[in-house]
Amino acid sequence: MSIVITGIGTVGPHGVGTAALAAALADGTNAATELEPVPDFHSPSAHPRYLGRVDPAALAPHLDPRTSRRMSLPSRLAVVAARLARADAGLEAEHFEGHDVAVCLGTAFGPTDFTIRLLDQIRDKGPEAASPFLFMESVANAHAGQVALDAQLVGPNATIVQREASALSAVAQGVSYLASGRCELALVGAVDEIAPMTHGALERFGALSSGPCGRALDAARDGYAVSEGATVLVLERDDTAHARGARVLARVRTALRGNDPTASAVTWGDGAERLGLTLRLGLERAGLTPFAIDRVVSGASGSRRGDRLEALLLRQVLGDTPPSVLTPKAVTGEFGGGFLAAAVLAATGADFGPTPGFESVDPELGLRPHDGRPLERARTVLVSSLAAGGAAAWLVLEAGEA
Amino acid sequence: MIMRRAERPNNEMSKADTVHARIKRVIVESLMIEGLAPEEIGDEQALFGEGLGLDSVDALELVLGLENEFDIKVKSDQMDKSAFASVNTLAEFVERQKRAAEAVATPDE
Amino acid sequence: MSAPVHASASLAPPARVFVTGLGCVTPFGIGVEAFARGLASARAAFDDVTLFPSAGHRTRLAGEVRAELGPALADLAPRVKRHLSRTDAFAVLAAREALSDAALAPEDGEAGVFLGSSTGGMFEGEEFFWRLRATGGRARVSDIASQQHNGPADAVARAFGLHGPLVTMSSACSAASMAFEAALASLRAGETDVALAGGADGLCRLTYAGFNALRAVDEAPCRPFRADRAGLSLGEGAGLLVLETEAHARARGARVHGEFLGAGSSCDAHHMTAPKEDGSGLALAVEKALADARIGPADVDAVNAHGTATPLNDAAEWRGLTAVFGERVRELVFLPTKASIGHLLGAAGGAEAVASLLALRAGCATRVPGEGPLDPDCPARFADAAELPLAHDATILSVNLAFGGANAAVLLRGVRP
Repeated sequence: MSIVITGIGTVGPHGVGTAALAAALADGTNAATELEPVPDFHSPSAHPRYLGRVDPAALAPHLDPRTSRRMSLPSRLAVVAARLARADAGLEAEHFEGHDVAVCLGTAFGPTDFTIRLLDQIRDKGPEAASPFLFMESVANAHAGQVALDAQLVGPNATIVQREASALSAVAQGVSYLASGRCELALVGAVDEIAPMTHGALERFGALSSGPCGRALDAARDGYAVSEGATVLVLERDDTAHARGARVLARVRTALRGNDPTASAVTWGDGAERLGLTLRLGLERAGLTPFAIDRVVSGASGSRRGDRLEALLLRQVLGDTPPSVLTPKAVTGEFGGGFLAAAVLAATGADFGPTPGFESVDPELGLRPHDGRPLERARTVLVSSLAAGGAAAWLVLEAGEA
Repeated sequence: MIMRRAERPNNEMSKADTVHARIKRVIVESLMIEGLAPEEIGDEQALFGEGLGLDSVDALELVLGLENEFDIKVKSDQMDKSAFASVNTLAEFVERQKRAAEAVATPDE
Repeated sequence: MSAPVHASASLAPPARVFVTGLGCVTPFGIGVEAFARGLASARAAFDDVTLFPSAGHRTRLAGEVRAELGPALADLAPRVKRHLSRTDAFAVLAAREALSDAALAPEDGEAGVFLGSSTGGMFEGEEFFWRLRATGGRARVSDIASQQHNGPADAVARAFGLHGPLVTMSSACSAASMAFEAALASLRAGETDVALAGGADGLCRLTYAGFNALRAVDEAPCRPFRADRAGLSLGEGAGLLVLETEAHARARGARVHGEFLGAGSSCDAHHMTAPKEDGSGLALAVEKALADARIGPADVDAVNAHGTATPLNDAAEWRGLTAVFGERVRELVFLPTKASIGHLLGAAGGAEAVASLLALRAGCATRVPGEGPLDPDCPARFADAAELPLAHDATILSVNLAFGGANAAVLLRGVRP
């Protein structure tokens, strides 16, 4: 059995819809803007701060106020991305009604802004003042529930939380539901907002880049840049996709998961060798060898330790001269699902321009991200994401119909 | 037991501000209903189901807003569904709660 | 689309999956035997909450884990103990017990981890946030390190050096049971041979005040399925199982506690907090679990109910189960675990699976704490006045319902001693 991607919807700092993101990837432009420090959350130091924000006005045409009245930002983002994905896949109500459609969304942080507002109410006015609305939307699975509610999707409704690996882990879980017959169709993806508290906490940890984009794989990289947004994909079995005449964007050859137990709770470990074995064994189970991989979409983001682990893992599995490595997080930022959308675009043969922020190869990493020259269309794309804390998730995507 | 909250000054409220008008404002503000002016809500208009389309969580949020606005404390078993039918029934409900609260605040010796 | 709901990839029966280890931390204390004793005592584990002030809430009660965690964690490596939230610690302690019970050494390292958690280290996150607000931003950065939802699963994988799939399922009150389902699918697909699965959640202000705001808490200890039930009681802890493919378990001669027969999940797509009144969303999850296990409703002997004791939940649950089991629903033995330990949210399904396997081991459903008349609208048969017998190899259905409309059902079968 083969599982295919038949629709994509994405919302992020580059705008609403796939075209805006594709254009940014082709040009190699990052859309982060400056963020004013927020009292209590940011340190008083005066350096510039950046965030890839979603313009709320851009969401408005896609959501009527009645539907979104009680929704947190991540719920709004997820519902809009899911609507775009359904439309892109040509799915109508008839494809849902009486069918088992799963929702499987990854999130690194959940609805932090509503959580903070609720905690402020409790702190300032006592628990008597706690708002039922805010609580209802403060649970990490609220956005998955809202996506299901919006389109009456009665299949498994899952929310996966694994930091930087949340998006690919959620895709892997959706693939598992489909492959084991637990649903007929799945909406999978990732959503995140970056509340001031989250931004401030990542800054305190020294996780954030000093510039507007993370300098993926660069010798002078100093952290990643963060973004808000959502990406939702429509996954289905190839027989059902074929039966309804759906256009196939890409095939999911396999979805793999693992862990690096050398990681601490807050950063990446150094277990590239053992992670490499997990990845190689996974490829083998799918009937693939590393030689089949002719493009890599790497989760390298500009993180010191994260990019080091990623690069050593890729060289471990693919050798010292791997195929072209795309690092779309330099454009999309970390979190918010932009990376997942870029990975699918890579499999569909979209253009990728130069990697913003990259200047010189780190000798320890020995990997150079794509420089913008035209690439042949890839047949087999390895998508890799390693998370702080240890989680790992990979996809192998194959080009859809030419 | 109904407990009266600490006294709270009813500032910036004009005498002309009727209970009905205040309830309508609470509905729009606490339920975050965009694009609806308080005065557009009819006194008899159904709030739940087909009317404004509110549900059980809205009712809880609304009670919280009314508790704040009118300095009352509503027990769960007093949240009678019929009280939430319209602005009119809510106004009666609020008046009842206020009388009960005053009765507790000045108990018979 | 006209594919059947259950179009399995192959017609051959899927690999069988066994439960070979149990571990838990509950309000009764650390460990499975403390939980077994607590359940057998027919007393509830509720007391005044001490982690944070309960003033201003409709109740003061919670099923709090009072056992000291420090000494229990003493022998873990310093790098494992760093940045552990209470919830992470519950998960690590339960995992250690489950691995030891299964006689699996950490160097077996291939296992996957599938854990449900609804709030992870939210309690520590709140402490950090309070300090930020109180000091205008001067709080130690390490204080927030443990507040992540993925903390418990990550900590377990780190503590025992596990390389398999690492999955945190954060689907509110169905999280642990959905984690079981994810683990089962992974084991059957050959992604891993061994999985630590279940859930962990700690008490925090957010959920304590949140359920209070929804007027869903009872001032008194919760009373599932009783006529005068008035809401839930919150609890905390972790419940984990070692799940293993038949081939792997047999090859190493593992002792088997039971068989994990199947699982299914669904979404109400009806309301963000209230269950569908007719219970049809839950019924769909149960039907999917039965199909997954290749058994019928007649094969089920007992139900570890979600039974939160809110008026709405228990009635909806009864209607959903009636839709699947018909009149036989009155013969099923109900295990309302929450009457003893409260609602463990993302850990609920995990602790309830351990409770189910303990009932099968004991050969009976022990007396349920609390008293009061039964509800004619949901006349669940549970051990009220006296314990009820259960065969050691009986089949138990365990269900959970959650915010966002997520429903999950798992099926466990015991073994004869």
